[in-house]
Amino acid sequence: MGLLTTLLFFPVAGPVAGIRWSLSKVQSVVEEELTDDTPVKQDLMELQMKFELGDITDAEYAEQEVVIMARLREVREWRERFGRPTTGGPVRVAHDDDKG
Amino acid sequence: MPAPILPESEGLSVSGTSDDGKYVYCIIRSDRSHDFGTIGIGGGQRVFTVAYRDLAAVVSDTPIVIYDPTRENVLAHEFVNETVMREHTVIPMSFGTVFRSDDDVTELLRSTYQAFSDVLDKMRDKIEFGLKVLWNREKVIANLEHENDEIRRLKDEINRHTSSSTYFARMQLGRLIEGALEEMGTRYVADIHEALKAVAVASRSNKPIGDRMILNAAFLVERAQEHSFDERVKETSRRYEDLLTFKYSGPWPPYNFVNIKLKLEKAD
Repeated sequence: MGLLTTLLFFPVAGPVAGIRWSLSKVQSVVEEELTDDTPVKQDLMELQMKFELGDITDAEYAEQEVVIMARLREVREWRERFGRPTTGGPVRVAHDDDKG
Repeated sequence: MPAPILPESEGLSVSGTSDDGKYVYCIIRSDRSHDFGTIGIGGGQRVFTVAYRDLAAVVSDTPIVIYDPTRENVLAHEFVNETVMREHTVIPMSFGTVFRSDDDVTELLRSTYQAFSDVLDKMRDKIEFGLKVLWNREKVIANLEHENDEIRRLKDEINRHTSSSTYFARMQLGRLIEGALEEMGTRYVADIHEALKAVAVASRSNKPIGDRMILNAAFLVERAQEHSFDERVKETSRRYEDLLTFKYSGPWPPYNFVNIKLKLEKAD
């Protein structure tokens, strides 16, 4: 969440001069960061790989899995809030006779 | 219908109260009903089929929830698919797919009947194997130094002089090694693909995971060729015994070769 941190600490952390974000631009960048699950999925795959190779123990795996699952849920919640599609979960099926 | 047992809270976020949900593992061709036993996700639910004409969805009862891809949940999903594929050609569903009712599952089979039929025909008697190849960087570099004259010469030079003038030689050596490593990696990957090409129907390369992996691939193999594929992988891994580690898994359902995206809000 690099950029998000920068944005949150913006007034404290950075020189403001010359940087003009339009509000919508900031929003879309933030939305992009909040709803991107690629890094979390990458981390999960790396964790699984480490476990498979015996680099980490069962307990270490379990401990880190909890953290990654929490991050995944967070991203999912943001995706739902921004109306973006999510993978897994309940599928809504529209039947021919009850469309609309 | 037995009351669904609510699994322990971990790995689940409950977003509804309905109990008639169906977790879908895969689609098979079958005109009779099946019971695959109590091996389902969420603490050993009974796994059975919901049929439409000669297609069937392999499902288990579930509350309407979102399943986290925890190791436990993913293994349950995979275990069901492995069990079913022993006797059937399967189209695997992606992890976590939950339908609200039997009717919704039937509607999926009805509205996508033709597509599922076609894919089942194409995937008939085919299985998937996963192959991840990691290299032992130190050994590969040692090997490089042995074989590459220029690298050896530079290294000797650096070892003879200890003064700061060797800084540039070191930089050059680093660059040389990086370049040679990349070349080696590409060559290994090409060699492995070449060795397996004759015994596989198709292959797909995924993004390597972590920095030691040079190949992360899936191979689609005819069931009848399973043994030859197996042999060929072992033979290839022996050839690179010290340098590369082969992580070989399967048989899997063709996860990497069937891509059915469920966008069912507008079923037609």
